[in-house]
Amino acid sequence: MWEHRCKVAVSGVGFSRVTRSAEVPLAAHALEAVKGAVEDSGLALSDIDGLATYPELPATGHAVIDGITIVSVNCMMAMLKLPNLAWHVQVETVNIGGAVQQAVNALLAGVCKYAVVWRAMHNPKGTYQNLPGTYASGPAQFTAPYGFGGPGQGMAVAYTRWLERHGQSREKMATLAVTQRRHSHQNPHAYFCGQPLTREDYLSSRMVAYPFCLYDCDIPVQGAVAIVLTTAERARHLRPRPAYIAGYGQRLAFEVAGRIGSLSSYMEGGRSSSRLTWERSGFSPKDVDVAQIYDGFSASVIYGLEAYGFCKEGEALDFIQDGRIELDGELPLNTFGGSLSTGRIHGLWHIIEGALQASGRAGERQVKDVNVSFVGASAPIVQGTTFIFVKEPY
Amino acid sequence: MTSLSRANILARVSEQRGGSDGTALSDWSKVSRPIPVPNEWTKPFWDAAKRGELALQRCQACKHFQHPPYATCVRCMATDLAFEPVSGKGAIYAYTIMYHAGDKRFAAAIPYASIIVELDDAPGALLAANLLEAPYTDAKVGRRVEVVFQPLNDEFTLPQFRLAREAR
Repeated sequence: MWEHRCKVAVSGVGFSRVTRSAEVPLAAHALEAVKGAVEDSGLALSDIDGLATYPELPATGHAVIDGITIVSVNCMMAMLKLPNLAWHVQVETVNIGGAVQQAVNALLAGVCKYAVVWRAMHNPKGTYQNLPGTYASGPAQFTAPYGFGGPGQGMAVAYTRWLERHGQSREKMATLAVTQRRHSHQNPHAYFCGQPLTREDYLSSRMVAYPFCLYDCDIPVQGAVAIVLTTAERARHLRPRPAYIAGYGQRLAFEVAGRIGSLSSYMEGGRSSSRLTWERSGFSPKDVDVAQIYDGFSASVIYGLEAYGFCKEGEALDFIQDGRIELDGELPLNTFGGSLSTGRIHGLWHIIEGALQASGRAGERQVKDVNVSFVGASAPIVQGTTFIFVKEPY
Repeated sequence: MTSLSRANILARVSEQRGGSDGTALSDWSKVSRPIPVPNEWTKPFWDAAKRGELALQRCQACKHFQHPPYATCVRCMATDLAFEPVSGKGAIYAYTIMYHAGDKRFAAAIPYASIIVELDDAPGALLAANLLEAPYTDAKVGRRVEVVFQPLNDEFTLPQFRLAREAR
């Protein structure tokens, strides 16, 4: 087990308004979320001495403008002018979960006391994946000429292989979309809060990239979320009950850039990340009381459930049936609605929900008797990270 | 639970698009495909395709084929790599059928099948392509395919795939 388990905790969390398109600059969303998280902790901005983010704009073919389409660490420093700032980082290879892990490391090293991590996501006007170019260079020279134009297709090809190799049917995924949407009705920050989705809606919705229909894809939005991390000792003196970080891991396998369609890359990415998380925390999948698994596309949940060890390969679409992922089920899943219902804010919202469930602060969607709360943030293949939060340090 | 087979879904979408004659061949005639930009590592692939050959990068030390081309052998780390011809016969490893014109250049062809092919000669090397000369509904994991060459312009030819004779 990890000697540093439960020595760092998530304290406050914050949310901006989530809108379909940009009505105010993205920096305003990020500020709203960061201020909210600091206030939730009962801290003042002057207490914050660490900053971390993953600022990437996943939409292609759009200008990267700091404060408008991304919110970098520099942008946040310029806005907040923190008098006691001591440490900051902006990560690239491991998505927002990597920024959280770097903040954990900085707190363990004692180079800062209260770190804020935010994720701000922009939804550009016009086509999200804007691909007007005549030429395809780099790895795209082997994919773009064949109409592989976006991440949805890249995910979809692995999913057809999964479905047909395992003799499974995509209709079973309706359970995930419908259950997560129902969960989101208890989450006032979610984009689709209050908007029902039925099994029939899912089954009759338009195809995007077979086997993905519209409701297999998260909806691009403009918004931001943020968390305050601090040492366990300090967290105990703050207003919210802490969610202790019992272990984490990151994706340690990578196939070459441009390799497309490989199902094994999802599974190896997920396995390598979760193996260390289980080892470090001392827990195993059967100990988990509630799970948040990244769902930018629905199939990521399926790969995640299998790669992290919650069920065997080929079984995940059956695993999610029969009420198992409901709030009172055997493994309540994506209890905040997931990206499919909150909108595309990447994995920090999954991390927030994992922490809220562990600290008993999830309100009407709180799962009963949670101690061990698992998070798989980001698709396992891409930049996956995994976390375990616990209520009681051990 | 309500169960819709994939065939039903495809048929419904096909009807929505007004094509119920059962052929469902994608219309590629109005598609302007992005033109590959070779670099020194990938040029032999495109040169071979222009000659009507499929050639993949092969490690000269351990004889492992890999695609896309890479700086080192991803199996044994050797740097002595060369392009060698392969037979062009293989099977559909995975596929998707694109209904959404996210890439506007391909709007005229939707719905169309983008496939990933694993070649008999090069297990593990995955090639992207389109399924040509067949309804997009014929794309299935494991179905046998063979390479065909589709000229893109005077300079470039795309390796593409159609169902192998035994699979038609």
